[in-house]
Amino acid sequence: MSDRTAFPQRAVAQLLGSNGPIHAVSYSASPGTYILTGSADRSIRLYNPQPPTPPPAPSHITRPTASALPTAAALPVGRLIQTYAAHGYEVLSLAVAADNARFASAGGDRAVFLWDVATAQTTRRFGGTQHGHTGRVNCVAFGGADDSLVVSGGLDTTVRVWDARSGGGKPVQVLGEARDAVSAVVVAGAEIVTGSVDGRVRSYDVRMGRATTDVLGASVTSLCLARDAKTVLVGTLDSKVRLMDRANGACLKTYADAGWRNEELRVQSVLGGKERFVLAGDEMTSPAAAAAAAGSGGSVEVPATPSGAANEGRIWAWDLLTGKLVARLAVPWGAGGSESRKRVVGRDGKEKERKNVVSCIAWKEGGFGDQFCVGGTSGAVTVFGEG
Amino acid sequence: MSYKRPRTTYEADLTAQQSPFVLFGTPLPPLDPEVRDDGSYVPVWKQEVRDERGRKRLHGAFTGGWSAGYFNTVGSKEGWAPSTFVSSRSSRRKDDPKAGGQRPEDFMDEEDLADAEESQRIQTTAAFAGLGATKHDASRTASLMGLFRPDGDTMGAKLLRRMGWKEGQGIGPKTRRKARLELRTGTGDNGGTFLFAPENVPMISFTRKKDHKGLGYVGESRLAALGSSAKSSIAANSDDEEEDDNTFGRPKFSLAMGRKKEKDKGRGGIGIGILNDNGSDDEDPYEIGPRISYNRVIGGDRKKKKAAIVINPALKTKPIFISKKSALGKVALGVRKCHDGRLPLDGFVFGREADPLASEINSQGKYPPPVIPPDWVSSKKPQNEANSKDYVSTADAAKTSTLDPKARAALLSEKQLPGKSVFDFMSAAARDRLASVTGKMDLPPARGEVPAGYALSEEERLQELLKQVPKLDKETAIAALARGTGRGAPYGDDDEKRSRYRAYLEYQAGFRPALPPRPSRMSSEDWVRESHEFLNCARIFKPMTGFMASRFTTSSTTLNSGSQGEVSDKNLLTRPPPKPQDPAEEAAKIGMFGTLTRSVTDFYPTRLLCKRFNVRAPAHVQPDEDVVSGKPSRPDTSSQFGVYDNITPIPQELLALEFSSGVDGASANAVRDGEALKPLTAQTIVDSSKNEALEGKRAGEGVFRAIFGDSDDEED
Repeated sequence: MSDRTAFPQRAVAQLLGSNGPIHAVSYSASPGTYILTGSADRSIRLYNPQPPTPPPAPSHITRPTASALPTAAALPVGRLIQTYAAHGYEVLSLAVAADNARFASAGGDRAVFLWDVATAQTTRRFGGTQHGHTGRVNCVAFGGADDSLVVSGGLDTTVRVWDARSGGGKPVQVLGEARDAVSAVVVAGAEIVTGSVDGRVRSYDVRMGRATTDVLGASVTSLCLARDAKTVLVGTLDSKVRLMDRANGACLKTYADAGWRNEELRVQSVLGGKERFVLAGDEMTSPAAAAAAAGSGGSVEVPATPSGAANEGRIWAWDLLTGKLVARLAVPWGAGGSESRKRVVGRDGKEKERKNVVSCIAWKEGGFGDQFCVGGTSGAVTVFGEG
Repeated sequence: MSYKRPRTTYEADLTAQQSPFVLFGTPLPPLDPEVRDDGSYVPVWKQEVRDERGRKRLHGAFTGGWSAGYFNTVGSKEGWAPSTFVSSRSSRRKDDPKAGGQRPEDFMDEEDLADAEESQRIQTTAAFAGLGATKHDASRTASLMGLFRPDGDTMGAKLLRRMGWKEGQGIGPKTRRKARLELRTGTGDNGGTFLFAPENVPMISFTRKKDHKGLGYVGESRLAALGSSAKSSIAANSDDEEEDDNTFGRPKFSLAMGRKKEKDKGRGGIGIGILNDNGSDDEDPYEIGPRISYNRVIGGDRKKKKAAIVINPALKTKPIFISKKSALGKVALGVRKCHDGRLPLDGFVFGREADPLASEINSQGKYPPPVIPPDWVSSKKPQNEANSKDYVSTADAAKTSTLDPKARAALLSEKQLPGKSVFDFMSAAARDRLASVTGKMDLPPARGEVPAGYALSEEERLQELLKQVPKLDKETAIAALARGTGRGAPYGDDDEKRSRYRAYLEYQAGFRPALPPRPSRMSSEDWVRESHEFLNCARIFKPMTGFMASRFTTSSTTLNSGSQGEVSDKNLLTRPPPKPQDPAEEAAKIGMFGTLTRSVTDFYPTRLLCKRFNVRAPAHVQPDEDVVSGKPSRPDTSSQFGVYDNITPIPQELLALEFSSGVDGASANAVRDGEALKPLTAQTIVDSSKNEALEGKRAGEGVFRAIFGDSDDEED
């Protein structure tokens, strides 16, 4: 069983219901049965990606080809279980606690909400006072023993650490070293790793009392820690994803492709497949280059994108060790493959070009599960699995 | 039938059954126990009006009504009562305390009191008007001078008076002479000689001449003297005692008030009213009634005493008797009446010395001055008569000169300029300036020529140019030279300019005999300007020495290593230094991740953060706070934050069960999840039912309490 075959390439389900772009997806903590999506329509939805009546599994799953790819129409639809609506602005980030009883969400309303999963009520709201974020909150993560801390970073260049256990509206600590907006936060052990638009990855080691700053140059939009926390996957706006050694700051591997461009948008990149792959979304700004790459990249068995689907998004997958492109998957637009009839009109009055930007990716069980899901501007979350 | 209850019993009944009001708290005592302070209604007839001294001001109609009479107090308690003098051995009248109870103030009304108040007011005399403001604005004229010099007697005069000197006497030992009694008629020389005070020497005061009138001419002031009382210039030579007093060795300050007494008297005419009456200065024309003379001024009676002191009748302070002759001389100054008080005869006027009338008469030629004899020669001769004869002013001499510029040039043996226009030698800028000033646009073009004989040779020009090259002191030049060899030297991008800069520095340091020749494509102005720039550059790039150098470090040189070419060559001083590029950014750009891109700083986590992360606070944050030694030992706890890689999935599974049971059935999980997870979930079910293993694995409670302290209850 080679690595390539282990890569889940088949879209197994779609999660619908969002009325706007999806900004955040997250699996519930292990075993990752559920998917939480944070949407621009100010609500968070909880799905079970498994359809109530699973379609009959195809008999041959050996090599997925273009024809074998399930068409969008045939995609089963995951069940919407709960909608969490308390945000007044778009939801930009989600984090599920390890006990699966709580999750945290943050977004444009400059506050971090702590939710009770079962009752669909917010138990705590961090921020909104003078101690809270003064700008959009971009990222949120749990941390500390028993997930007693919530770490959030926002447009106000600060990372705020909130105490989820005891009351009080003041953050436990404010990390204000960033010179620009904080775009990603991950917590590993007693370390808080933040990525900022000023092109730096800062690791705050609470145990040692040391802050390590790694300069990446371009704006950091995505962080993904390996499970051993020795390496971190950093996505930056120079169309590169780097695997950085956290011990000495060296770049272990750089993942890039001529057809893959990431220069404007926050596109998440994660480790997946038991940390064998590097996945990244696509902001779809270079369709021509992508087509050229698709034509020339013969060495990698890339499933060909159906040429007619202009509204398809893409996911790129690299091999972690070799850095070679493993797969390039197409992400269908929306429900049943049919495009939304809504016309998106920009501020200039013209109809906006519709791009299916895949901005958020989550791998089940932190990269060790057997499926992953992607979300983006289409508003639908596509779940890929081995079937 | 109705029986009538008395009111007292009714009220007693009422208060017994229901109290009319409820008292809450203790009422404040009244301010004055005799006065009701509760704001209750007092009928008008009970109200009384008292003035500020507690006297009753309103009285009943039968006792006088509104303030009738003198408070209508006679016979009342407040008023005075007629009493008889009673005194006995047992009760002496003078011991009676009530005897002195009545003061005059008790019987004075407001006006009397105001008068009494005013009589007690104290103020400084007008002499010191500069020190304190008084009401006498007239004396304010000398207010500023009053600051420096008090009017009136000086200390010297006072001392002299103590020593027996009197006004009008001279100073010195007494002289023995005959009494001068010639003013008295008849009594000739009695023969006896007496001791007299020496003659008073009149004080000569020199008034500064500030006008261009002739000596002794007092035309305007003389005219003014007719209309007003200012006659200071006339009185300057009078030997009046007050005048002497004023001019006692000091510059004279003319006071309008001070000369009032010398005013022309009796010059009244038709329609002269009470205001024009010059009879007495001191009397107030509006004063009516008897004059109450309160002494309001300290030392105000000085003049009267002085007048009384004067005993010498011959002195004119007190005109007892003045002979006709002297009286005429005195009176002629303006008094129109004769000494006997009568007007002069009809058709006669008093002769005046320098009078407007006299001048008018003189102008009419009635009394011409005596004619100077034709053969009169002044006995005085000017000394420099000869010199003054052929004196010619410069302007006159210039006028008489017949020389033109050419002749003058010939006299000075100057070489004649070639026959060219001025504009040939003018620079274009000067010509333009001239054109703009004069407004003439048709001026000939400027050529900027230098006359051939005055043109500089090449060497001279070079010397001139070298003179314009700024000098730099040797130390600075050497220091800048030393600096210039290293990295970050100025003009790193322009080798030519850099070599010129080095040459300039070497020349200034003395290493090089002469400056290198000016480049041909460079004008001499640019060359000099560049040398000035070099001077400034050398001053800036000179490294600091010694003490100062140990205090400062240059930030630009260390960071600027990669970009020294960005130092501008043109305006080096005005342009800010280029923003230093972060070497880490540079390294990141070329992909050299590692030590170059990494920087480690101290981070100070708060105590709560350390506690929540379940780590011991770093040493530099809380050095001696923690009592637990070593690493907090939770080797097998459910926290996944101890060591990341030996995380046990058991608690997560447990909680996931709770999660899934609350939301969805767990059966679908088991079907859909991977095969490997199935036994895991089964295990967790067993564990959750027991719940003993989890508790058993926990470390001792004491450890937790030591670590977490009071937050243990929160974990529940």
